[in-house]
Amino acid sequence: MTRAELLADDPLWLILIKVVVVLLIGPLLTVFMIVWERKAIGRLQQRPGPNRVGPGGYFQSIADAIKLPFKEQIIPATADRKVYFLAPMIAVTPALLAFSVMPIGPQVSIFGEQTVLQLVDLPVGVLVVLACASVGVYGIVLAGWSSGSPYPLLGGLRSAAQVISYEIAMGLSIVGVVLYAQSLSTGDIVEAQQNGWFFYLLPFSFVIYLISMVGETNRAPFDLPEAESELVGGFHTEYSSMKFALFFLAEYTNMIVVSAFATTLFLGGWMAPWPISLIGDNYFNSGWWPILWFFGKMFVLLFCFIWLRATLPRFRYDQFMKIGWKVLVPLNLVWIVLIAGLRAIRGESDVTTGQILTYGGIVILVIIGLSFAFDRGRVIEDDDQVPITGGGYPVPPLDLEIPKAPKRKAVRGRNRRRPAAVGAGTDAEKESNDGDL
Amino acid sequence: MGSYLPLFLLFVLAAAFALFSALLGPLVGPRRYNRAKLEAYECGIEPSPQPIVGGGRVPVAYYLTAMLFILFDIEMVFLYPFAVSADALGFFGLVEIVLFISTLGFAYAYVWRRGGLDWN
Amino acid sequence: MITLAQDVQNTMSTGESIAFWVLGPLALFGALGMIFARNAVHSALFLVLTMLSLGVTYMVQQAPFLGFVQIIVYTGAVMMLFLFVLMLVGKDSSDSVVEVLRGQRLAATILGVGLAALIVTAIARSLTEVTPVGLQGVEANGGHGNVENLGRSIFTDWLFAFELTSALLITAAVGAMVLGFVDRHTRGRKTQRELVEMRFRGEHDRPSPLPGPGVFATSTSVATPALLPDGSVAPESLSRLIDSVGAEDLDEEREAITGSAHGAEARALNPSTREGESS
Repeated sequence: MTRAELLADDPLWLILIKVVVVLLIGPLLTVFMIVWERKAIGRLQQRPGPNRVGPGGYFQSIADAIKLPFKEQIIPATADRKVYFLAPMIAVTPALLAFSVMPIGPQVSIFGEQTVLQLVDLPVGVLVVLACASVGVYGIVLAGWSSGSPYPLLGGLRSAAQVISYEIAMGLSIVGVVLYAQSLSTGDIVEAQQNGWFFYLLPFSFVIYLISMVGETNRAPFDLPEAESELVGGFHTEYSSMKFALFFLAEYTNMIVVSAFATTLFLGGWMAPWPISLIGDNYFNSGWWPILWFFGKMFVLLFCFIWLRATLPRFRYDQFMKIGWKVLVPLNLVWIVLIAGLRAIRGESDVTTGQILTYGGIVILVIIGLSFAFDRGRVIEDDDQVPITGGGYPVPPLDLEIPKAPKRKAVRGRNRRRPAAVGAGTDAEKESNDGDL
Repeated sequence: MGSYLPLFLLFVLAAAFALFSALLGPLVGPRRYNRAKLEAYECGIEPSPQPIVGGGRVPVAYYLTAMLFILFDIEMVFLYPFAVSADALGFFGLVEIVLFISTLGFAYAYVWRRGGLDWN
Repeated sequence: MITLAQDVQNTMSTGESIAFWVLGPLALFGALGMIFARNAVHSALFLVLTMLSLGVTYMVQQAPFLGFVQIIVYTGAVMMLFLFVLMLVGKDSSDSVVEVLRGQRLAATILGVGLAALIVTAIARSLTEVTPVGLQGVEANGGHGNVENLGRSIFTDWLFAFELTSALLITAAVGAMVLGFVDRHTRGRKTQRELVEMRFRGEHDRPSPLPGPGVFATSTSVATPALLPDGSVAPESLSRLIDSVGAEDLDEEREAITGSAHGAEARALNPSTREGESS
């Protein structure tokens, strides 16, 4: 039986179990993700992170989740109350819905009932995720608009423009996968990767998807809708108590969904990774094992989100839109035409991949050569240009040597003078108090 | 029809969960009235009467982006059925889709050249 | 679209009819709400409701691709409408009773009646003359499944209409550019780089931005003016909007800066007692 037939055969009690499990994946992983993120970023920044509640501080977000409903909810007087109430719900509901099409595992038996680990396998599963994403934006935009306050409005607008821009890049990068899998169903896409995962068959699509998934979820370095240094809290500035928590839930659930989606589309979904897949005639690819692989891959991607946030500074808005519209979209279209062309050539005539690569390489070499031939060097420097530094204003000398950072152990425990090159002046004594460079 | 039943159930439960959470705050949370709390947050300064964004209106660049979004959204939506049936369509389909993409490419190039994609 | 055709009527299941009787009124409610809502943004939201109901109706009618595409494209389209409203009338938008275009009611009536006639004819024709094939099954159009059948149909039988769509989209893009876009140069706005260069040429008062307020560790108020290195108040940091803190209140900070006061308490900035920042 195919996946869809197995799923259609599910009795009601099994459907209910699956629905509850899928519904709980979002909130539970969110609670875990928040504390994991805080711990991981803490480590990356050489500090402990939350360490009070529970073992190693790992119960911190449970404590936060219990705390939030008992906080006062403040609705600004300028707010549009109906829309203000509706916005967090619109943000959360589609985010929770999107996980339903993710194939978590192959055929298993639950209480004697043969089924697959997936809630629904629609013939248009990919579109379900995209539709949920596009409805979810409304939550953010409406939150910004209904707050009746300038910072949220700016955040909401930015978010609208950002998410729709990156949705295009994301949707186009999926076209390549659909082309190779010849299906829009997520279950079929995973099964089409039996002979090779799409992340190396379609490297361009994969990279573009990874970039756009960060942009789509409003995460650092693309977290412009809630840029703290510019917009206070962005679209949820005026939200408090449980409604604020709902936006948090939506953000993290969206992260989980796009990571699961990336796993499904490019990383072989529930299939065991390469060296393990050789063991015992692919024994680890059957039964309940695939859950481990699926969530393992997903957590790797989720860790990348955290890692990015700790590593990269925020983009400027114009740079961000430029990447989306002037780089990702055209590159994507060219790539789609290229792979569609390759597929058509291979389908129509018996040209081997080697020949295509050879001729393609020659064409690319010729293009590169031509571009060198027509390149007449850089534009001549403008005489009228004003030197931005110097000109009588104090600037640091160019040969400034940055003193080596002392080892942390040496710093601890005693007050230490800063190197003279930096700490010159009357405030040296005062600054030495904080004991950390 | 039947295959949407789980999706529908999930939707109902998710919406109920969201509604419950949204109602939980005002039910169990404290309520201490203070006029200053009800004002819009503007970094501790008294809210200024004028809206901040250009007289309350939104820059046109957002609208242009939304327009371009629709353009490419429709293109994307056409690319999916093409991708699914690409093998059956063969060269003929390829020529069609290249024509389609390049036609839209002209619009895209026009917007780019006029500066519609520039933000400042 | 709503399947009430005689041929299909006998195949309509109970689930389908329940869905129709729920979704139909919902779509109608959304449409009426859109017309009667006083607030333009509420109107746009009601439209979203209508579009979503229609999308779900399509899904129930065994057209999953059409249904989800309806949601994806039309939510985007309504989003554009939303931004358009915000762009034209601002945030605090409500109905305007002033008629700007002359004769627009007449034109709207004629076009509306024309559109209604077109739709009614199309539906009447589809109810009587067209035999529905369905795009779900294997036998329908040679492909397996709804999407592939649609693909084959679009890219062979409806090729011309498909390519015509691209012409329509081009028109939309060019129209938006021509009507909505004003070039930066004609508006007289400068890029960041140009502004920096102008500043350093001396075309502005000062090359650097104005100093920020004196929010130090000792004061959390933006009303505190910034202090210059010699301890005097920087006049540019005073806001026009806020009453500044009196000069004598800053004596302590001045002392702290010149170094004549005792420093901050040592424990205040001790890194080992600092908590992790909340995310």
